Amino acid sequence: MAIRQLSPETVNRIAAGEVVERPASVVKELVENAIDAGATQIEIVISGGGLSLIRVTDDGSGMTPDDLVLAVERHATSKLDEEDLFDIRCLGFRGEALPSIGSIARLEIRSRPADANQGAAVTVTRGSKAPVGPAAVNRGTVVEVRDLFSATPARLKFLKSERAEAMAVTDVVRRLAMAHPDIGFTLQTGEKKPAVFARGDRSSAAWLERIGAIMGREFMDDALEVSGAGSGASAPMRVFGFAGLPTLHRQDSTQQFLFVNGRPVKDKLLIGAVRAAYGDLIPRGRSPLLALFLDVAPSDVDVNVHPAKAEVRFRDAGRVRALMVRALSDALATAGHRASAQGGVLTVESFAAGILPSAAMSPPPSSDAAYQWAPPRPAPALSGTGFAEGAQTPFAVFDAPSADARTFAEPAAGETVDKPLGAVRAQVHENYIVAQTRDGLVIVDQHAAHERLVYEKLKAALADGGVARQGLLIPAIVELDDDDAVTLVARSDELTELGLVIESFGEGAVAVREVPALLGETDVEGLVKDLAAELRSDGTARALKDRLDSVASRMACHGSVRSGRRLTVEEMNALLRQMEATPYSGQCNHGRPTYVALKLTDIERLFGRR
Amino acid sequence: MRLEIERGELLKALSHVTSVVERRTTIPILSNVMLKATGDVLMFKATDLEREVSESVSAKVATPGTLTVPAHVLHDIVRKLPDGAEIEMKRDGDKERLTITSGHSRFSLQMLSADDFPDLAVGEIGHEFTIEAGDLKRLIDKTRFAISTEETRYYLNGIYLHPAETNGTKTLRAVATDGHRLAQVELPLPKGAEGMPGVIVPRKTVHELARLLEDTSAKVKVGVSQTKVRFEIGPVVLTSKLIDGTFPDYGRVIPHNNDKEMKVPNASFKSAVDRVSTIASERGRAVKLNVGKDKLILTVNNPEGGSATEEIAVGYSSGPLEIGFNARYLLDIADQLESEDARFLLADPGSPTMVRDGGDGSALYVLMPMRV
Repeated sequence: MAIRQLSPETVNRIAAGEVVERPASVVKELVENAIDAGATQIEIVISGGGLSLIRVTDDGSGMTPDDLVLAVERHATSKLDEEDLFDIRCLGFRGEALPSIGSIARLEIRSRPADANQGAAVTVTRGSKAPVGPAAVNRGTVVEVRDLFSATPARLKFLKSERAEAMAVTDVVRRLAMAHPDIGFTLQTGEKKPAVFARGDRSSAAWLERIGAIMGREFMDDALEVSGAGSGASAPMRVFGFAGLPTLHRQDSTQQFLFVNGRPVKDKLLIGAVRAAYGDLIPRGRSPLLALFLDVAPSDVDVNVHPAKAEVRFRDAGRVRALMVRALSDALATAGHRASAQGGVLTVESFAAGILPSAAMSPPPSSDAAYQWAPPRPAPALSGTGFAEGAQTPFAVFDAPSADARTFAEPAAGETVDKPLGAVRAQVHENYIVAQTRDGLVIVDQHAAHERLVYEKLKAALADGGVARQGLLIPAIVELDDDDAVTLVARSDELTELGLVIESFGEGAVAVREVPALLGETDVEGLVKDLAAELRSDGTARALKDRLDSVASRMACHGSVRSGRRLTVEEMNALLRQMEATPYSGQCNHGRPTYVALKLTDIERLFGRR
Repeated sequence: MRLEIERGELLKALSHVTSVVERRTTIPILSNVMLKATGDVLMFKATDLEREVSESVSAKVATPGTLTVPAHVLHDIVRKLPDGAEIEMKRDGDKERLTITSGHSRFSLQMLSADDFPDLAVGEIGHEFTIEAGDLKRLIDKTRFAISTEETRYYLNGIYLHPAETNGTKTLRAVATDGHRLAQVELPLPKGAEGMPGVIVPRKTVHELARLLEDTSAKVKVGVSQTKVRFEIGPVVLTSKLIDGTFPDYGRVIPHNNDKEMKVPNASFKSAVDRVSTIASERGRAVKLNVGKDKLILTVNNPEGGSATEEIAVGYSSGPLEIGFNARYLLDIADQLESEDARFLLADPGSPTMVRDGGDGSALYVLMPMRV
């Protein structure tokens, strides 16, 4: 078959395949255009999952009739200064979206710039453009897309249900809304009441309000403000946003929102940095909730690596990573002992469910394994019918639960109620410390709390004293990919600090000369391969630190106060004070909270006083 | 099957064979011990598929037969019977039960058919030699502490037993290493062991063997085939699979040019290391050796736990040196030393150190230092 030049229509359809994957991609392109046009209010309406109608209305700068003609041409854009392809300050820039959409649907654009008296409209029906005509339209632009994919039936077949597509649209709009608290968004999908995100400003309060509206109240209550700045490859960069407390986590990472220059991304490097910062604070396989905005100079980031721009490339990935990790760790460390308030909320709910604690009370259904309410111990069975039970009755008194644990005398004046974790009032069930704070009460799991304290101390000692290294009689030769071997050797300084001494051993192999003494006799080959795989996938070398931490964690578990031990008031108060002073003491080594706080208002609500 | 046997005989044999039986296994018959009564002999056999131990004792056999019963249960029963008791074992007709009677006690155990009992066929024994029990014990006792427990390097999970040559003398040499330290012990090559292939005897077999050698002074007959090794210790026969792997060229890691020699009085060194390592409560703590003119200072520094120092007089005339070792490794080696003095041959803080047992040239230990 002879080689032919493809027709512009075909070219556009092929491009559409890349840019317009599903209705959500159309919405993304159109809303980004609206944002780039300086809109303050954007309204999105879709129906039929976006297949029958997508309409985006903005109050932005609008387009003149001449602009409209060009807008639907391929590679026509106002957003790119051709002098500098690397100085991209707008969300879009390729000039591909509108013609691509026009080639596979019915596209109508009506627009009026602020200073024009009359609006104009242009329509493109599956690639064929109608001439520009006059139209009645408010200031700004209205873009309507109907019968999406009607020109590419094959694509139509691969779409999910209308509902799923509508959800994808919602997701896209939410992400964009999250990054632009200074723009009001209205989203109407189908018949439902529209979702409205009121216009605010770019202050952090407004930002948190917007993020809370999207990620939920719970996140708002447990969010820490993250803020950090550093120098990028050529210009300063800055990260800002909100991160959830480590005790707040989810099964998957759908509640992780990362933005680079206002653009939602799903970038390996950034996800890796988040994971590194949260490290051992959350249970394995769980993901923290956060929304982070990274601002870097346009010249330091290449956003043009992915058609949908979901991935970006940084000029100096190391610095970006370091900034992210530092900013996040700082925020998490200052949170110190704070645990998610979720526990308290759940506690109140479970109290409410119980009304009277009958022996049969079962734990409330809770999908979140992070906090599990232990049912009260059933009262000893005094009404048994069997001989054995009867005979046991006199002994039942010994069996009584220890919930009536010693209560303490009126506390001395001027004491610790003002401290965040308050003053100890009692120890119940030989594991839970009940403390009174200024505005509520706190219940601490003594084992979990102490375990974390010991663990943090061990880790600090490890970090201080350096990791002792045990030399190997026979260096372990580990065969790897060429690339992996080079990457590993390039990071050898960092690894040496953690006790692993490696050197290059010809092509595609490294020789391990010393290993961390703490690990004892360990599977060197497995360790090195894990490290290589991690460096490849997200540029971090966590495997080694993980293993050291897991040894520390095991030692911590053995070296900490067990459940079931009676503690004196002094011991308990000391524990609370240490928790306040220790970073990350809000969750145990397994990611469960070490304490829950119950606000006085919650208690009052339980008794119907509010 | 029906027989009578004296408790002492039975207990001894059972304690020899049952220790290879795993307490938890997915194949029921592996929890059992096989009893085979023929003529006036009762033979026991137990296995974990990697190794088997068998032993024959004399018994009054009325009806010959073969069957298997749970090993640990039988062992516990016999252990709890009074000393000197006569025990009768009898299979109840065609029922799948073995009845054990002694005095007023009577037990009935569920049995499994001996037909399914695995047999560790030894194959053709290519080399056979005899060795004093004490000598064999020394070979394994002094090396087994260094056996690796890291499963990924399976070829280090045993003692490498092979013929070698030292200063023109042919020797039978045992070597074990875990990559951090190495132990090598040898003795004159027994007749018949020439040309035997180097074999790696698995760790669990080594421990079984050490146990079996504890209370015997007999000669041990050792047979080696391509894939198995067999030790005949009096009436007890231990057969084991070998580790199918290549033991690394350990000769390269034995330093020959370590010229700084330190002569250490064994007893005081051992107890000094033991004392200072009290502070090194956890794994991976180093004992620092500060070697100066005729003086050795041992130090352990634990930022959370405190520190310990002890000074001992040694014979040393080379330049001063500071070197760190894992406390446990140093103790392990110190435990092996028997002569009055140990000789430490040192090079520098990053290179392997060799330890020799005074005048005893047949044992040497290599230890890799630790660095902070």
